[in-house]
Amino acid sequence: MSLLEVRDLDAGYGDLQILTDVDLDVDDEEYVTIVGPNGAGKSTVMKSVFGLTTHMGGTVTFDGEDISGTKPEDVIHKGLGYVPQNENVFAELSVEENLEMGAYILDEVPQDALGTVYDRFPILEERKEQRAGTMSGGQRQMLAMGRALMLDPELLLLDEPSAGLAPDLVDEMFDKIDEINGTGTAILMVEQNAKEALRRCDRGYVLSNGQNRYEDEGTVLLNDEEVRREFLGG
Amino acid sequence: MNISETYVRYRRSLGEEPLAIGVVLVALWMAWTLVSGLATGGIRVSSLASLVWDGLLRGLIIGLAGIGLSMTYSILNFANFAHGDYLTSGAFAGMATSYLIAGIGENSVGALLLVGAGGSVFGGAIGIGVTTSPVAVALGAIVAGASTIALALAIDRFVYKPIRDESGIALLITSIGVAFALRYLIQFVFGAGVRGTTAAGSVPRVNVPALDGTFRITAHDVSLIVVAGGLMLGVHLLLQRTKLGKAMRAMSDNEDLARITGIPTEQVIRTTWIVGAGLTGVAGYMFVLWKGTLGFNDGWLLLLLVFAAVILGGIGSIYGAIGGGIVIGLTASVSVIWIPSEFGRAAAFMVMIVILLFKPSGIFSGRTTA
Repeated sequence: MSLLEVRDLDAGYGDLQILTDVDLDVDDEEYVTIVGPNGAGKSTVMKSVFGLTTHMGGTVTFDGEDISGTKPEDVIHKGLGYVPQNENVFAELSVEENLEMGAYILDEVPQDALGTVYDRFPILEERKEQRAGTMSGGQRQMLAMGRALMLDPELLLLDEPSAGLAPDLVDEMFDKIDEINGTGTAILMVEQNAKEALRRCDRGYVLSNGQNRYEDEGTVLLNDEEVRREFLGG
Repeated sequence: MNISETYVRYRRSLGEEPLAIGVVLVALWMAWTLVSGLATGGIRVSSLASLVWDGLLRGLIIGLAGIGLSMTYSILNFANFAHGDYLTSGAFAGMATSYLIAGIGENSVGALLLVGAGGSVFGGAIGIGVTTSPVAVALGAIVAGASTIALALAIDRFVYKPIRDESGIALLITSIGVAFALRYLIQFVFGAGVRGTTAAGSVPRVNVPALDGTFRITAHDVSLIVVAGGLMLGVHLLLQRTKLGKAMRAMSDNEDLARITGIPTEQVIRTTWIVGAGLTGVAGYMFVLWKGTLGFNDGWLLLLLVFAAVILGGIGSIYGAIGGGIVIGLTASVSVIWIPSEFGRAAAFMVMIVILLFKPSGIFSGRTTA
């Protein structure tokens, strides 16, 4: 049984259905990406796992427990972390306060986890007193990841981690994700930068119009004629 | 640069900045009136000092009341028009307590609990004052805060919570209804008369010399400063140092992110009402203790100034509410140097409008909580 199992998921916003019969698995310590054109419903899959959409059918199972329809503030207790694409830091709070909020559900701020995050992203320790809203896009993205890692989740959801980053930072960001995955955290990632994402991941899904289209090892998808022509621009 | 260029530049600056020029001219005229008035003795330094002192105290009350309004606005995303009547409720509950403690034995309990409705008991006669009845005043302030907390939580539970997911407009209009209901309920119970609440004559005072005279500082002025300053410092420490306070700032910043971080939003909302309403109740009580009169309309009349202060400071920012409160309070008091006193409130709104024209999002714009 996989760590995360999505079966026949129908979901959307209010009356608007976006996803139809989506199936998706993430195994322990696996690195999975979802690619596809704009409006394919990639982000909606992530939001649905975290209870931020209207659940219309199907199941989301995590670690053997059905979590479909669980409220967002309860999902984090199950061992999942989520970095949304936009507005993913508390702009008014300092860097350190953002990280403290990441561990809000614990009684005390876990100093070892805080140390691990600072080791992984040294810039955050240098700037821990700075207001998050005044940092650059790349630094904010690191802070958002750091915040989600404070509880050492079994599965980390990353929505477009490279969006809006300067080209030289994109590689650094993907390296960080490899490192996080290397220490045993499973990753489910949505990426615009589909080629790089598929090159790095274990397995990939191609989504279009809210439905599964292809699923295979990342490098296989990358070399598939149809996938290349339809979704990767040749 | 030739003459025609200079002329064009001059014309352009006039055309683009008529407002700025107008404001500068008015400011110059005001400064000239003040300086010449002070020089010729038309305006006494001591009366100016007295107006500034009065404005500062008024500003502290507006600011303290504004913190509660600002907090509920930034976390619940709606402007609570019933806020002014929370002030009045706090004032009545607190004064009823003070009356009861100070006057028990010599007066009927009913008359004391109704804060002397219809002239049955007078605050002056039973000696309400921070020095004459310190226990009654301290307990009155505590009851004012506690009862307003209970009231705000009850109203939230039965009125606002069921429509929390509706738009801010629905909540705002509902809060206007709550405001009317509360105000006339208070009038129904306590009567419409404005009563004197303190033994004004026996409040200790010192006359502070100011060049050509003196201005007065009373014990009630000092207690207002101590209470308001202490509570403001307390809120600051709560928001900056405690986990719950940081969660409140986080939620006001980005509610969706707060939820996926596991912050229990209903608990934060409850805390917001507790802190906001507590401050509001105490502000209402201190206001009435300080000015020495109490009527069912007091909070409603103050609410417009509180709104002005909160908007001026940058809505959602508690430091903006304090800063804005002091600006509004000072303007309303000091403006009588230039204009008839009936226009003091209008002047406060003028200043608000002018400041917003130059800085549309308020003095502390964008800094919701820091």
